[in-house]
Amino acid sequence: MSRMRWLLKSVAPHLTSTKRGFCTKQEQIVTSVLFERLPVVIPKIDPVVYAFQEFSFRWQQQYRRRYPDEFLNKSNTRGKGDYQIDYVPAPRITEADKTNDRKSLHRALDRRLYLLLYGNAYGAPNGEPVWHFPEKIYESEETLRKCAESALHDVLGDLSHTYFVGNAPMGHLVIQPKENAKEISPSKRFFFKSQVIATNKFNISKCKDYVWVTKDELLEYFPEQAEYLNKMIIS
Amino acid sequence: MMRTAKLRTLAPTSIDSLAFQLFQRCSVSGTAKGKGKLKGGQQLKRSKVTTKKGGAADPAAKGGSKRGPSEAESLVDACLNAPTPVRYLTPKERAREAEREKMGLISKDRQRELDMMKKGKEKLGISDKPGIIGTPGLDLITLGLVDADKIPKYDLTVEDGRRLAKEYSRVLMRKHRARQAAESTLLRLKKEAIEALPEPLKAAALVPDLTPFPANRFMATLTPPIEGYIEKVKEAAKKSSSQERRR
Repeated sequence: MSRMRWLLKSVAPHLTSTKRGFCTKQEQIVTSVLFERLPVVIPKIDPVVYAFQEFSFRWQQQYRRRYPDEFLNKSNTRGKGDYQIDYVPAPRITEADKTNDRKSLHRALDRRLYLLLYGNAYGAPNGEPVWHFPEKIYESEETLRKCAESALHDVLGDLSHTYFVGNAPMGHLVIQPKENAKEISPSKRFFFKSQVIATNKFNISKCKDYVWVTKDELLEYFPEQAEYLNKMIIS
Repeated sequence: MMRTAKLRTLAPTSIDSLAFQLFQRCSVSGTAKGKGKLKGGQQLKRSKVTTKKGGAADPAAKGGSKRGPSEAESLVDACLNAPTPVRYLTPKERAREAEREKMGLISKDRQRELDMMKKGKEKLGISDKPGIIGTPGLDLITLGLVDADKIPKYDLTVEDGRRLAKEYSRVLMRKHRARQAAESTLLRLKKEAIEALPEPLKAAALVPDLTPFPANRFMATLTPPIEGYIEKVKEAAKKSSSQERRR
């Protein structure tokens, strides 16, 4: 009896190891995309750094060479012309910041924003909508990066304003299936990094809802994986 | 015989034989050989062939070059010899100046130093209050990049300077170390992810992606982009170029 079992195992291992029904592969591979919008404005400057720079400037001015005033004022006297390029600088805190409109890309201009979708995801309990990254199950494309690109393509419609950084994933999570999930085998989720290029608005389809969030807000949406995401995403 | 003799006398062979060596000639250029006239530390002779101003002033001052240096020349002189508040003097020179002062002779530079010290700080353009960094109106505080109330108070003294430098160094080093640690974590996670891939995908992931970076990636700027500003600038550029054409 045990010999038969051993033979079976060596010839067709999956027939004996799975006690439950319908999963065929040993592991599912899911690619998810971390779609980020890079900061539009430089970050705030630490007041200590500012103070030191200002102090050092004034200290060095004490020892400067004194040039004649008419030489220093030459730039003012030469005709400026009507260039019409003066402007009132736009405020760094936009209206989207004040209203906390998470769907707009104009929020938090000095930080990175990441895309999150709300809908049916792989590994969701009972098929309920859940907050997740844009993802796709790997079937049989050539590389994982192409799978990730098709995942983003489904969400956005076209990839002209995206840039995938490198061929390799930036992190992976091994997800143990929960009890009330449809899928049963443990799955590996690989994250790919891609960036928004030169655009302000996107048409996000294929999901019920979407948000653009900063890193802190992102960690709220994923309470269990917060630690790993903290390491994977810098600010 | 006569011809060859004539040829010999009429065709001098080397430069040195010219003028029967009454004046020595340089073997390379054939000009008068003399000691180098440029000594170190001297004011270099200025060429008169340069800018428009020099050219315009020159014909005016040509007849009267004995009049003295023109305005432009005096400006250039003042710039090249701009005075510094602290002079560099070797100990020998300092001793010489001290002795001359005892005798009552004060050099121009020393006189200037004494005047500067008497003038005091306000007139020399150094204020006690902190100034702004950036052009007025677009400086860092009004743009919201720095919280004005959190800046520490300090005077323009050596101790305050040292204290500020220490804090500055601490803050920046902390940030640098944090960023290095975060980047090494990123690399580590990437390596682990690649290890966790099955074989064919792993080989594909290890191929370096050499396609060029997108050329239109926006760099973070000081102020956010203003809508409709590019059209304004393009129109102004067109207008100014058409005006120039009319001229």
